[in-house]
Amino acid sequence: MTKKIHTITLGRRGFLQGAVATGLAAGTMPLGQAIWAAEGAMLNAFSYADIDKLDPGFYQNGYNVDVMNCIYHKLARYVPGREWEIENEAAEELEQVDDTHIRFRLKPGIMFSGGYGEMTAEDVKFSFERVLEHDSPVKGDWGPLKEVQLDPDDKYAGTIVLEKPFQPLWTITIPYGVGHIVSKKAVMEATGDGGDFGMKPPAFSGPYILDEWKPNQYVKLTRNPDYSGELKPGYDEIRIIPMDDEKVAERAYEAGDLDYTGISLSSLSNYKANPPADTTIKEFPSLYYVWVGMNIDNEVTGNEDLRKAIQWAINVPQIMDAAYFGEAKPSTGLIAPGLTGHREKALIPPEGDLDKAREYLEKAGGPPAQPITIDTLNATTWKTIAEVIQAQLGQIGIQVQVNVQDSGSFWTLGMESEGDRWKNMQLVVNRFSMMPDPFYATTWFTSDQVGIWNWERFSNPEFDKLNDEALSEADKDKRAAMYRKMQDLMEESGAYRFLTHEASPVMYRDSVEPALRPDARPLYVGFKPA
Amino acid sequence: MAETTASYKEPSALRVYAGQLRRNPMGMLGLVLVLIVVATAIFAPWLAPYDPNQIMLGPRMGAPSAEHWLGTDQLGRDLLSRVIAGGRIAMLVAVATLGAALSVGLALGLIAGYGPRWLDNILLLIFDAVRSFPVIVFGLAVVALVGPSLYTVILVVAITSIPIYARIVRTQTQALRGAEFILAERAMGASTLRILGVHVLPNVLGPLLILASMDVPMVIATEAGLSFLGMGVRPPAPSWGTILNDGYNFIRNSPWPVIAGSAPIIIVTLGFTFLGEALRDIFDPKLRRNS
Amino acid sequence: MALYAIQRLLLSVLIIAVAVCLLNIMLHLVPGDPAVMILGPRATPELIEKTRVEMGLDQPFLIQMATFFGNLLRGDMGVDVFTGRSVTTIVMEALPFTLALISASIAWAALIGIPLGAYSALRRNTWIDRITGILSVGTISIPSFVMALYGTLIFAVWLGWLPAIGAGEGFGDQVVHLILPAFAVGVSWVGYIARIVRAAMLEVMGENHVRMARAFGLREGRIARGYVLRIAVLPAVTLIGAGVAHLFSAAVFVEVIFARPGIGALIVSAVNERNYPIVLGAVLITTAIIVLATLISDLVIAWLDPRQREGL
Repeated sequence: MTKKIHTITLGRRGFLQGAVATGLAAGTMPLGQAIWAAEGAMLNAFSYADIDKLDPGFYQNGYNVDVMNCIYHKLARYVPGREWEIENEAAEELEQVDDTHIRFRLKPGIMFSGGYGEMTAEDVKFSFERVLEHDSPVKGDWGPLKEVQLDPDDKYAGTIVLEKPFQPLWTITIPYGVGHIVSKKAVMEATGDGGDFGMKPPAFSGPYILDEWKPNQYVKLTRNPDYSGELKPGYDEIRIIPMDDEKVAERAYEAGDLDYTGISLSSLSNYKANPPADTTIKEFPSLYYVWVGMNIDNEVTGNEDLRKAIQWAINVPQIMDAAYFGEAKPSTGLIAPGLTGHREKALIPPEGDLDKAREYLEKAGGPPAQPITIDTLNATTWKTIAEVIQAQLGQIGIQVQVNVQDSGSFWTLGMESEGDRWKNMQLVVNRFSMMPDPFYATTWFTSDQVGIWNWERFSNPEFDKLNDEALSEADKDKRAAMYRKMQDLMEESGAYRFLTHEASPVMYRDSVEPALRPDARPLYVGFKPA
Repeated sequence: MAETTASYKEPSALRVYAGQLRRNPMGMLGLVLVLIVVATAIFAPWLAPYDPNQIMLGPRMGAPSAEHWLGTDQLGRDLLSRVIAGGRIAMLVAVATLGAALSVGLALGLIAGYGPRWLDNILLLIFDAVRSFPVIVFGLAVVALVGPSLYTVILVVAITSIPIYARIVRTQTQALRGAEFILAERAMGASTLRILGVHVLPNVLGPLLILASMDVPMVIATEAGLSFLGMGVRPPAPSWGTILNDGYNFIRNSPWPVIAGSAPIIIVTLGFTFLGEALRDIFDPKLRRNS
Repeated sequence: MALYAIQRLLLSVLIIAVAVCLLNIMLHLVPGDPAVMILGPRATPELIEKTRVEMGLDQPFLIQMATFFGNLLRGDMGVDVFTGRSVTTIVMEALPFTLALISASIAWAALIGIPLGAYSALRRNTWIDRITGILSVGTISIPSFVMALYGTLIFAVWLGWLPAIGAGEGFGDQVVHLILPAFAVGVSWVGYIARIVRAAMLEVMGENHVRMARAFGLREGRIARGYVLRIAVLPAVTLIGAGVAHLFSAAVFVEVIFARPGIGALIVSAVNERNYPIVLGAVLITTAIIVLATLISDLVIAWLDPRQREGL
């Protein structure tokens, strides 16, 4: 059986090279063949954050998806490597019939654990449609999904039907979070209505199962004894260990507690010059975007002129020097170079302008009487960013207090569901993970997302409209222009100062053969002993 | 700590003590170090070559140079200026903490020593309970409740030091309580307050102050320690502990912040310890025999 | 002796009980809802309510205390509100690492300190004696985290001997991983122990039975080993009893710096998360251990040296 490989087109530049557009490129890929590990093989890997959701239809962030990759199947997955490509996973055939129809046929014999039987097109339909039916916070990932039609003659086959074309389908939907397929029977039994099952997966279909989750300590995955698919797990046990600070992870790696970790940019040159024993260091570009957000609905930062004063007072190259030791470059917005919609320039120059900042501050009625707060995650790089901003705003007379938060309390800061803390949030240093489609960046800043992930509470009808239209726009240049405009709107609101896309160096033991996306995101399911 | 049972000497003997201190080389070294640190703390704003929180475009994690005598940290801030400013914080915490601990300890010690037996027992029990907390661990517990700040540090160290002073005062007070001149005063109708204030207080103050000076390193180490853990003075205030924490996080990049942050801690602890030892030898010859 | 032991034991229990009360009173002294204090910034209304009921915070204070002590006697220190795991389990998992660190530190300090002190006493006023004198004062006051940082700097960064970090796996590896952290904690006590041993030896050597032995022509070295040292070890034991609190404080830093698991690392991360039940549990256990260590060292001393029993 041939396996289809889709090459995603991302743009002309840089690492994100792709081949042809929208369609399917044929090809074969020897995947996961006979890579059974030696008995007792164990992998300890680093993650920036603990998991907080294992229901793929309602996933919170990429760290959840890292685990989902291992315990569920999806129609297609990302191929590890330097180029953005996807290959079939649960699908035997997967084909874009036209702009709004995608036909699929599942491989027969993929079993759900716990006696929930074989995976059928019915499960696919259920998994995809529940995202919209239950108003998931990430329903945007399924965009204009209309329905999944079942093939009456073939229980493995069906067609995904879209209301209108959906450009990000092949980059963020099928191979990512909401593309995972759960067992209809198991989920209905567990939840009654097919809604969010939170942290307790009722059935597994991937090569690993969730064995144990110790919050803030580790996620332990072990081999799925019921697994019958063709992905062979490389390890008997994978432990994913959350650590807020890369510097802590670096020390844990040196201590032998980790086999794979990301490293901070400030340590990169030292590690390159003097690597730990039996270690490979690799550098990848990153799609992450880091920015300073300002809460529009807060009493103090609600003042647009004050926000603009802050925007202009922040000197990004200085932050790059201090927090990243010059190993990262200033960004122009949410969308990294090489992706559709990347802006060549931001509206505000990276260096800012203190005179302009002072002008805006005067218009705002001078500096706030009380120090304003800047919230940041308890990690060296982020704290350094906050401290530099504290000093930079001090230059125009704005007093700033840095509030350091642990990951649990940081990632719920702006969420209305978690209490009233969103009201007091003023400035926040933030970083979101990204997929290789611009939709995945802008979609978190719509009015719908206010109080969920849109902590700045930025709400702009033009932005919402563009976000909606751009996902169906087939003309690449027009689409790019729309995303550029959206970033302009964000910047003009004064609520955002874009900082950087960082870069992603990683290190791992020579005994490990990692499987990494082109942006160094780990695909644990493909990790195996070298 | 051995219970010091030093007796108070008349001030006229001060010259004798000064002479003794001068003949004690380690004590003199201690005195010089202490004076340097105290003077630096007092004159910090005039001594620091740069603004300690000024982020500079110059070299980050730079080695010592003509412009930056102790080098620069990860934000390009001048380490010498930060160390000097940190000295001020350390001294402030030391003075505030010891002041609070001394006065409360004195009061509680007098109460325990002069008050009824049952009160004495209860206070002793509480002193023992507080002393059984490890300072840093107890400090972390308080930070968990009220959050990190300069005041939290002062509060924590003061609370954990009170029992030490109170116990000394109590022992002294009890010893004096039965003394003939006190009994005579009381027979003549002097109030308890008067007896405590006029007779007991001056007698316990001397040993207490010496003890306090020997505790300065402990206080400073605790402040620096909590700040090192990010649970003390808040950034960007340049506590020596904060400087060390930054240095630790970037230890692979440059050793200078660690060296710059630890040097004053070592100097100040050695200075106060040497001085305190010498003072104790002078004021308390009985203990001297043992060392 | 038995009476003394019982008296001391009761006193220790009482001290622990008072310490527990103090920690609980502290929680109520801080302005604000104790349930919110316990939960920190992540408190949702539901969690607050749940905590209030689970911990009996809606009850009068005295009943809360009674419940707390009742639970404590059964080894129950409550649950971590976020994960639902027993605090006792969490603390007990971390404890062995810290105890190993502290024991190894004492071993380091004794290993260097006792011979150094004994040698100084036998060779009074030589240069070794003088240096020991200065060292004994100097090393006491330098904080353990400064020592630990220099340890990292010298051994991990400059010399590149990496296994200075972590706890290690398997016995041999764990011992290797203990060397540097334990040294950082123990080195402060080297001088102290040396000094006390020296002073005690000088005192004892002036006493009659040693003079007698000397008169019988026993060699100096044998006298030192046979008679003097045994008695001289006493003060060192006292010191260890009194110093365990400091050792625990030092362990906090060393565990953080060397990325070792243990009580100190546990407390620091719990404070970072504002996870008060774990902080409380860890403080209680360390305090109990300290009181116990003091008790044992006092009893050992009283047993070896009856003169000490009078001063209860």
